[in-house]
Amino acid sequence: MIEVEGLTKRFGSTLAVDDLSFSAAPGTVTGFLGPNGAGKTTTLRAILGLVRPTAGRTAVLGQPYRELERPSRQVGAVLETFDAHPGRSGRNHLRLLARAARFPAARVDEVLALVELTDAARRRAKGYSLGMRQRLGLAAALLGDPEVLVLDEPANGLDPQGIRWLRDLLRSFAREGRTVLISSHVLAEMAQTVDEVVIIHRGRLVRHATMAEVEAMAAGAARVRSPDAERLASLLADAGVDARVLADDLLAVSTTPERVGEIAAGHGVVLHELTAERATLEEVFLELTGGAGEQ
Amino acid sequence: MRALVGAELLKLRTTRAWIGYVVALFLLSGIAAAALAGGAAAFEIDSPEYQRDLVSMSVFAGFIALLVGIALVTAEWRHGTITRTILVTPRRARVLVAKQIAGFLVGVVLAVLAVVVVLAVSIPVLWGEGGGFVLDAAMMGRIGWVVLAAALAGAFGVGVGALLKSQTFALVAVIVWTLVLEPLLRALLELVEREGAADFLPGQALGALDGSVEDALSPAAGGVVGFAYVVGFGVLGWLRLERSDIT
Repeated sequence: MIEVEGLTKRFGSTLAVDDLSFSAAPGTVTGFLGPNGAGKTTTLRAILGLVRPTAGRTAVLGQPYRELERPSRQVGAVLETFDAHPGRSGRNHLRLLARAARFPAARVDEVLALVELTDAARRRAKGYSLGMRQRLGLAAALLGDPEVLVLDEPANGLDPQGIRWLRDLLRSFAREGRTVLISSHVLAEMAQTVDEVVIIHRGRLVRHATMAEVEAMAAGAARVRSPDAERLASLLADAGVDARVLADDLLAVSTTPERVGEIAAGHGVVLHELTAERATLEEVFLELTGGAGEQ
Repeated sequence: MRALVGAELLKLRTTRAWIGYVVALFLLSGIAAAALAGGAAAFEIDSPEYQRDLVSMSVFAGFIALLVGIALVTAEWRHGTITRTILVTPRRARVLVAKQIAGFLVGVVLAVLAVVVVLAVSIPVLWGEGGGFVLDAAMMGRIGWVVLAAALAGAFGVGVGALLKSQTFALVAVIVWTLVLEPLLRALLELVEREGAADFLPGQALGALDGSVEDALSPAAGGVVGFAYVVGFGVLGWLRLERSDIT
């Protein structure tokens, strides 16, 4: 369980997070979405006790991160910045984390095998590719077999197999009743992984919805051609459906073709074409965030 | 706390920086001891004062320990490893205390190494001159104080590093303080006839401890003042770390 309540963070004159509240429930994978610069990383770092909130509070498993009894056993985190020393081998990096957190040394080789980094484990980290760095970060997060996972843009640098592997891992985590919070700036990338999405923009909450709701938002649109377009548009408007006249005989409507067909038949309006339109998830995302993020 | 100190020492052993520190220590103490032993007049080589001065050439251990202590914190900022360190140990005061203890232990090890180097270089010279090396209680005491001075310097460096965060800045600050500011302050204090207060400046206090400064505090008093600096800078460094956003 992760809770964020009224979180505000100001860096000098920049308001990075603005009165943000949401929660991520156990047993679900929650996607944390927003354009670059929306305040995702700052929020995650506040949850992890790395950034001091200007106002508001965050809790993991019911407590502020700083007050957790065994933080590495309770929460695993991968942040976007690489946090291993370039001159140290991946294995030694994990060894000293295991030492500090009082995990058995054997656990190091287990997580190395789990993230498939055993072959490179004794090489210095400065030679690691982006994907290997992500895997090392994941290995560090998984050392304590934690109840809660917090991942900042984990798909960056992973190849398609790696992304699939990560998806399976996160899904199985959620199935075991654990909490997963994962940030991304690409909604489509997360569609198959997450159960819920928390969308933020300019530090504020835009929408907290289930992935199914977001999919439905993408699906509910149609294109209609009718010689009687004006009349159909007003009939649809009467039924509470948003309809825009694109050309003399062409309408874009925000409902399913079935609904349009029923209304048209009920009033004897002739249709020449009725097509389901599917917005991409990215279009939904851009619409929700006002299409104003940095690309 | 034991686990955290162990992790800090493992951090030092698992990058190559320690090789540079040990090489620098061997060169500095070896050359200083050779210069002093080689330049000694025959009549003084058997005097206990002279032999104790010889052992004091291992004070370079204190300087290197100070650098290691500083780097224990500043390297974490420089390489971004501070993020993972604070994730594992979110109570930041614990991180700093573990680093201070690690710095203290490193100081002990470096000082013992330095004493070994100094003796290895100077004892053959003394023998060559027909003299001998006297390992009496006073000499043992001097060695003990040198080791304690280096240990305190290591722990002190952690506070300095935490307070200043930048390796370059911390290094420049230590050099400017030692070579310019502290002598200037001493001169000013003498001018206003308060030279006794100058004995409590950090360089003077640690110097009194390892025997490189004379007519100052007793070694024990120097140790107490040095420890007070370790605690004081530790608190200042903790305040800075506690208030820092790790981004």
